[in-house]
Amino acid sequence: MKIKKRFGKNSIIDGVVTHIILIAVCFVFFFPVLWLIMASFSKGGSIYDFDGFFPGSFSFNGYSRLFTDTTMYDYPNWLKNTLFIAVCSSIIGTVLVILTAYTISRFQFRSKKMLMKTALILNMFPGFMGMTAVYLLMVNFGLINKLWGLILIYSAGAPMGYLVQKGYFDTISNSIYEAARIDGAGNMKVFTKITLPLSKPIIVYTALTQFAWPWSDFILPNLLLKNKDMWTVAVGLMHLDETQFTRFAAGAIFIAVPIVILYFALSRFLVTGVSAGAVKE
Amino acid sequence: MDKKSLRKSSFPVKASALIMGSGQLMYKQWVKGLLYLLVFAATVVYMILMGAEDIVGFFTLGTEEADPWLGTSGDDSVIMLLRGLLAFFIIIAFFAVHFSNIRDILEIDKKVRAGKPVPGFVKSVSIFMDRKFYIVALILPVAGVLVFNILPIVFMILIAFTNYGGDTVPPKLVDWIGFGNFVKILSLSDIKSTFFKILAWNILWAVLSTFINYFGGLFLALLLNKKCVKGKAFWRAFPILAYAVPGFITMLAFKFMFSYGGPINYYITSAGGSAVGFLDIDAGIKAKLIGLFVNAWISIPTSMLLATGILSNMNTDLYEAASIDGASKWKQFIKITLPFVIFSTTPVLITSFIGNFNNFGIFYFLRGGLYMDGYFLASDTDLLINWLYNLSIDNNYYGIGAAVSLIIFIITSIFSLTVYVRSSAYRREDTFR
Amino acid sequence: MIYGTGKKKVKIMVSAIACVLAAQTFTGCGKESSVTGGGETIVLHILENDTAKSEGYLEELLNAFNEAYKDKGIQAVDANMDEYTDLAANGPYGYGPDVLYQANDKLMTYAEDKHILSLAIEDFECYEYVPEEAWDAFKIVLDGETYYCGVPVNIQEPMLFYRADMMPENWEEEWDDDGNGVADFFENWNDLYAYSSYLRENDTSSNKDSRYGFMASLNNLYLSSQFIFSYGGYVFGQNDDGTLDSTDVGFSAGNTAYGMNALKQMAALMNEGCIDDTITLNRYEKVASGAYFCAVSTPDTYGLFVEKLALKYEEEGLSASDAQAKAEENLCMIEMPALMPADGDLSTDSADMGEDDWVNTIVMGGVNGYGISSYTEHREACIEFVDFATSYEMIKLRADTLGIAPTRSDVAQEQGGLTDMIFNSLSEGRIYLMPSIKAVDQIWVPMQTIMSDIAKDAFRERNGETVKYPDLNSLQSALETADKNVYDAIYTLSD
Repeated sequence: MKIKKRFGKNSIIDGVVTHIILIAVCFVFFFPVLWLIMASFSKGGSIYDFDGFFPGSFSFNGYSRLFTDTTMYDYPNWLKNTLFIAVCSSIIGTVLVILTAYTISRFQFRSKKMLMKTALILNMFPGFMGMTAVYLLMVNFGLINKLWGLILIYSAGAPMGYLVQKGYFDTISNSIYEAARIDGAGNMKVFTKITLPLSKPIIVYTALTQFAWPWSDFILPNLLLKNKDMWTVAVGLMHLDETQFTRFAAGAIFIAVPIVILYFALSRFLVTGVSAGAVKE
Repeated sequence: MDKKSLRKSSFPVKASALIMGSGQLMYKQWVKGLLYLLVFAATVVYMILMGAEDIVGFFTLGTEEADPWLGTSGDDSVIMLLRGLLAFFIIIAFFAVHFSNIRDILEIDKKVRAGKPVPGFVKSVSIFMDRKFYIVALILPVAGVLVFNILPIVFMILIAFTNYGGDTVPPKLVDWIGFGNFVKILSLSDIKSTFFKILAWNILWAVLSTFINYFGGLFLALLLNKKCVKGKAFWRAFPILAYAVPGFITMLAFKFMFSYGGPINYYITSAGGSAVGFLDIDAGIKAKLIGLFVNAWISIPTSMLLATGILSNMNTDLYEAASIDGASKWKQFIKITLPFVIFSTTPVLITSFIGNFNNFGIFYFLRGGLYMDGYFLASDTDLLINWLYNLSIDNNYYGIGAAVSLIIFIITSIFSLTVYVRSSAYRREDTFR
Repeated sequence: MIYGTGKKKVKIMVSAIACVLAAQTFTGCGKESSVTGGGETIVLHILENDTAKSEGYLEELLNAFNEAYKDKGIQAVDANMDEYTDLAANGPYGYGPDVLYQANDKLMTYAEDKHILSLAIEDFECYEYVPEEAWDAFKIVLDGETYYCGVPVNIQEPMLFYRADMMPENWEEEWDDDGNGVADFFENWNDLYAYSSYLRENDTSSNKDSRYGFMASLNNLYLSSQFIFSYGGYVFGQNDDGTLDSTDVGFSAGNTAYGMNALKQMAALMNEGCIDDTITLNRYEKVASGAYFCAVSTPDTYGLFVEKLALKYEEEGLSASDAQAKAEENLCMIEMPALMPADGDLSTDSADMGEDDWVNTIVMGGVNGYGISSYTEHREACIEFVDFATSYEMIKLRADTLGIAPTRSDVAQEQGGLTDMIFNSLSEGRIYLMPSIKAVDQIWVPMQTIMSDIAKDAFRERNGETVKYPDLNSLQSALETADKNVYDAIYTLSD
């Protein structure tokens, strides 16, 4: 209390400055999004009839055409594909990441160091250099033009980013496990009965990141999905004609909305999850 | 179990060493024995039907060129390379199984000789599940990574030693050329000078952007953490909105904003100024700064979330003590906050450094399609990964591209491994628990 | 220790491998299931361009074909892939289309590696109606033998799109010196330059940004090709046997430096948008809004120009159909002006120029046509389809629906007017065909870089910065650098 009084005047100035900076920062973040939102409501269909940042006139056409005018650009279908891929990859990927992270955090075994180093090195590899091989592999397995092929790749690649999750498990005190072990619980039981209930935040965090990646990825689906009715939203949007900007913006906003909603609904978990994950002690 | 012990061993052990699972069957370990036998049979069948041929193909990379006009199906070199690689993976896996098979039979053998009961299949599985939980848990992730991450990378490394690319693409046959691509890279001064120029910028970029994103996020988190800020969720919403829009869309939008026909130039010219080429050929430092800005815009929301979480874990007592001691805000930050945050996030920092080092999207979207003087098939903002893309995808020089990426890979992995192994977070792993 | 009781690990791995193997054996060849499927009916996957699809032509074509070939058990369907899908990557594995429609440069990159079939062109019904120049776009020489790998459909060249209502009211008196009823600024570039600068001078808006004459993305080799090919520049030289020699890159050949000078002059009458893709992207809106008098584009974009203009009229209160009619009437498409100044100086008054002071405008163009994938399982059926799709009726329908300029002389003549003119331009050598070899892929980025840099010079001058290309010598050496860059891109890394 004393301290507060001493800085009374300063803290008002401090508060004003803080808020000015905050407003500026939020403006910088919000503005491009706002612009995209406005563009999605533009009537003209192209950004070149804007006056600077603002469309000449507004309409809902961008959104309604997204779902009605599907001869060339079958957005509803793309959305369905994207949702399927993202949900499946998220579920499978989360299971794999959590298993990996938990195991590496909890157990000591000889090849652990090697595994960790390998994972680090693998991340260094320029991804698309392996694309030729991924394409040929999928050709070989007959998984071109199949949504499951993508799910397989996303899920299989997920454990590579286990570090944050491992950090989270590192924070769970060892004594809990020891106690359970003494009570005679097997490792499987410890994992399902003790670890999992404690890891809700990190599971939510993982599921969300594993969902967001396929949701907006462009490179892999573009490589593996040849038929237009198999495309995902990102691939479809990239193939939109240059004069279809309103549709592009509407399509982009539309797939951003679920992510935003998920984030706000789950933000409680996220902050705990990611923070605990990053902190080593 | 060297040769000697094998020679001295009992008949079932010898049998198992020859035919997997046969020894187990002799000891009436039916399920286990059958499983081993099945694996053995599957491998043999595979080797006869495909494996042997695939391995030969791996070395020859095809002998007969296809002629699509005549409809003759010849050899597809890259597929042969891949299948050969797959065959090697399978053989290695087979030997791993075989090794476990021999360990297993020796153990059974020992138990039988000592007159102890041998545990049944179900029981040994459940013992294993518990004692070696980590193996059970890691099997699937490791297998997935092996097939979809390691195999492509090994494939790519091998490509660096072939003449794949340029005119030599299927149906034409590809050949092994040893270090030919590396010799070419080192002997062509164009490529060499481009490589070093881009490498220098790439390192600068990775350091700067990691720094900016990291401290930008931290700054924002500290700002939001202040007591005087009310409605934190509201303020936090803006960066999260930015995060929700897919990255490639953001980048395209920024490219348009900074283009000559974009809104920024619209306002500049409306105000009577002359249009600024933010991203054109003369842009130089401007384009680099815009790249840093756009990258920060995309990455800061994530690092803000991270920092927010870390700060909420901090012990606030330290601050109280510090302010009573009369330490300034800045001093508190330097002495207390910063060490704590950095210490906690070293692994994340490394990951983000690598991510930025290999950040393909920013300059591909913002400034693709420029080859500058003094650069071989690249521009002054291109990172090594963009250059690789130009070489291997745009211009089809897969072999050269693979060789360059191998060199980059060796440099970056030595660097990051060194940092990682020295980092406190990793060292702690030694003494961890 | 680690390997100690690793048997279960190994077992799971083995079953994973077994799955992999099974997947390999069962699905190794994805082709059979995808193509034949339904028993006797042969299904052909046709890849057309997006315009043909969005304008409804593809559907009509497929319906007509399916109707005609119902009894023969052949059915054509939309391949439903990206219009630029890479046959070389997908075809060999059975994921490509059976028949594909593309520009000759794109199509012929496949021919070198035999991804598309060589065809006995005399057997096609359209053979005698299509001029040799168009067929040559699909010619390839392999091991001394000549093959044709595509069937021409239409000619693409950059065209001028303008608004009739933006011509000066008194153009017949002031801008038609030869009195031939065609405005001079559509006949020669000096007058187009003069009219453009007239429009610039009369731009009354506060920031002088609302009235332009000729507009084009000057960094675009295809759309601004006249500045190179009219002056003796070429892409690749020719060998004695008539095949292309990609070691001889000729953008700096002849008097191309003059052409670059003209390009620079033109840039000064545009805004900075000519340096990047801005004009290519905003031409439809800006022509509609009246900011640009004319812009360069390809014939297949006519519909887009009309659409935007009609939208403008609708906003002004016309009904949809009236707006459409008015836009169609007002928006005209013509070939580029036929004469360029031989010395590259657009500012000379055309009245002072004699016959020898001009060179013919030559633009880069392409022939779009059908190719047949070598990986199709029904070659005969594909040939039937291509023959059907290039028949008189279909090409006529295509020309009517899409406004393309056909390579079939009978349709071209019947359509008359512009279509016929484009047809003649091809046979008279006023269109430089995009070379039909793979190396052509490597010309675009180096040329885009150099052309945008030269165009930028006009703005460096305006802003008082140091000019990079002050004279012909510097332009010439810039072009030679570009040639070298193209050469390097093709040859540095191949042996």
